[in-house]
Amino acid sequence: MISARTVPATSPSQQRTTDSIHLMNSSLPGYHGCLLRIDLTTGVSGQVALDETLLRSTIGGSGLGVELLLRAGAAECDPLSSDASIAFVFSPLVGSPLTTSAKFAVVSKSPLTGRINDSLASSGFALAGKKTGHDALVLTGRAPRLSILVIDEGGVRLESAEAYRGLSTRETERRLRENLGSEFQTATVGLAGERQVLFATISHDGRHAGRGGSGAVLGSKNIKAIAVRGSVRPHWAEPAALVELARKFSEKSFGPATAKYRELGTASNLLTFNRLHVLPTRNFQQGSFAGAEAISPEQISVARERTRSSCMACTIGCEHLYGLQNGTGSVRLEYENLFALGPLCGIDDPEVILAASRLCDDLGLDTISAGGTIAFAMECVERGLLDEPWLKFGDGASLLRSLDLIATGDRLGQLLAQGSRRMAHAIGHDSIDFAPQVKGLEIPGYDPRGLQTMALGFAVGSRGADHNRSGAYEVDFSTAVDRCNVGPESAHLAVETEDKAALMDSLILCKFLRGVFTDFFSESAEILRLVTGWEVTANELRQTAGRIVTNKKRFNIRAGWTPDEDTLPPRMLRQALPDDPRAALSKESLGGLIRAYNLARGWSAEGWI
Amino acid sequence: MQVVVELFGIARARAGVARTTAVGDCLGDVLADLAAQFPPLAESCIAGRTLRPGFLANLGGQRFVTAPDTPLADGDTVLLLPLDAGG
Repeated sequence: MISARTVPATSPSQQRTTDSIHLMNSSLPGYHGCLLRIDLTTGVSGQVALDETLLRSTIGGSGLGVELLLRAGAAECDPLSSDASIAFVFSPLVGSPLTTSAKFAVVSKSPLTGRINDSLASSGFALAGKKTGHDALVLTGRAPRLSILVIDEGGVRLESAEAYRGLSTRETERRLRENLGSEFQTATVGLAGERQVLFATISHDGRHAGRGGSGAVLGSKNIKAIAVRGSVRPHWAEPAALVELARKFSEKSFGPATAKYRELGTASNLLTFNRLHVLPTRNFQQGSFAGAEAISPEQISVARERTRSSCMACTIGCEHLYGLQNGTGSVRLEYENLFALGPLCGIDDPEVILAASRLCDDLGLDTISAGGTIAFAMECVERGLLDEPWLKFGDGASLLRSLDLIATGDRLGQLLAQGSRRMAHAIGHDSIDFAPQVKGLEIPGYDPRGLQTMALGFAVGSRGADHNRSGAYEVDFSTAVDRCNVGPESAHLAVETEDKAALMDSLILCKFLRGVFTDFFSESAEILRLVTGWEVTANELRQTAGRIVTNKKRFNIRAGWTPDEDTLPPRMLRQALPDDPRAALSKESLGGLIRAYNLARGWSAEGWI
Repeated sequence: MQVVVELFGIARARAGVARTTAVGDCLGDVLADLAAQFPPLAESCIAGRTLRPGFLANLGGQRFVTAPDTPLADGDTVLLLPLDAGG
């Protein structure tokens, strides 16, 4: 049992900041009306009030987190310095009976991009974290040594994490529950976070706040894990009506709108994308992969046990786990890890992809950035720019060895651990031309040349190339546009999907529910009204969503954003996809889309707010 | 007209085949033929001569279509796939 306290215990109730005591608003339905700020350097913690105006204008999750970080001056900080802040932000819906609402946002400045980063995850951490009596936990400073941050009814304390040093996320979570008690919920970093790999994740029951390197930020603060336990529940404005609405949503969530996720999982995208030539292959050199059938979920499940699971408080159950043939357990397989550790690296061996996915989970690595950076390195080797002849497309052993090196850090590992943009700058020879990133964040599994509304979403994305903050691929997968020849008139459609994502990430609800809504903004307003009592309208929520997106831009501008970073890798703007010559996007065309997007947002044509 | 139909995701799971043929002069005709050939596909993906919400058709990997009166030519390839991507 670990019991040594490395800093004095502090009780949140005894450490309220003087300017917040009289502002506490625990009577606000859905909220506690305060956050918990913890200075890891001094060990001092205290509650800070969150007033109703702030909460209504930002809601929670990403929206609230970005505003908190702006106010903390995080945009101007080195994200791995002790001055930097990282916020774990809950939402008014956490703890409600609404399906998929057990979610939270981890918000910080990204060490990978130097821009805003908001990563979301679903787990019991959201429920237990909010039950500590706070709408957010904000960490600053740096613990004097590797520590576990424990927050429970007794207060806030740091415990030594020496016994956990170097452990996988999975083993850390298991031992923490064993040592602290099963009622604790945890957020942990693996070896990648400890070593501040710039795309390290924070793991919660195997789910990851994955993109942008929030695990490195936590690691830089000498925090191996956060363990939370609590029993404080905010009340709801109209509990009976909320329960009834939640029942209806749960019923709909069992329907056809989510059948794909429930029955096949997201990995079923693979063959569709392959057929449409938008499956990124061999570092985006092709849009289709000869080995796609062999690694499709339909084929993988033939020789392996497949089980299904769901996140905490979710009725969709999109998680599909496949057993490893060596009998060492099962692995969650999503489209993104399948594409990034498969076709992107030229790998057509399902066992390698599953093993690599498992390794990323255990080390705490973002699979998209890991696969993207390794694929980039493979192409550098192919072009004679990197003298690592063993690192080859299609070689499963190369992929697994590279992942190990990222976490254990020899010379090549240290290079890979910085992501493809920094690696390209180190290698030189114009390799930035084909580094698969936007703003430093590796591009997910949608070739932007064949999905050009998505190309716009990637280019202008506040955290870089990202499919979770812009759902513009939905526009490309529709009759609204010609996906290979998108014009500026599609910009407002890209804005609409980005606004919906911003609202979902602030309420917070899972995006896989989006097909369940008939009128998203109106139904969201009704949900929020039943939880908080606010007479919000669809129009107010549209404005809120737009304001949240603008706030992210504000953060980036303060962090040094310039218009020229809203773009795609130069090669993508010069070369069509060889397997679909229609899939071509020029720098001028993309520039026109970006200008139209900026104006649709009400910003200057260059993107200044 | 005979067209080739490729099925993806839930559509493939319901039909039990990855590829088949169907007849019709327009998308609606082809969908009706598919529904007759594969009743489980009709239950999930096809309502009469139209696609159910959540599904799309695509011509030759190029153009997405939903209108039942979309004309088809002999030898065309029609893809049936779920509407959303994501993941």
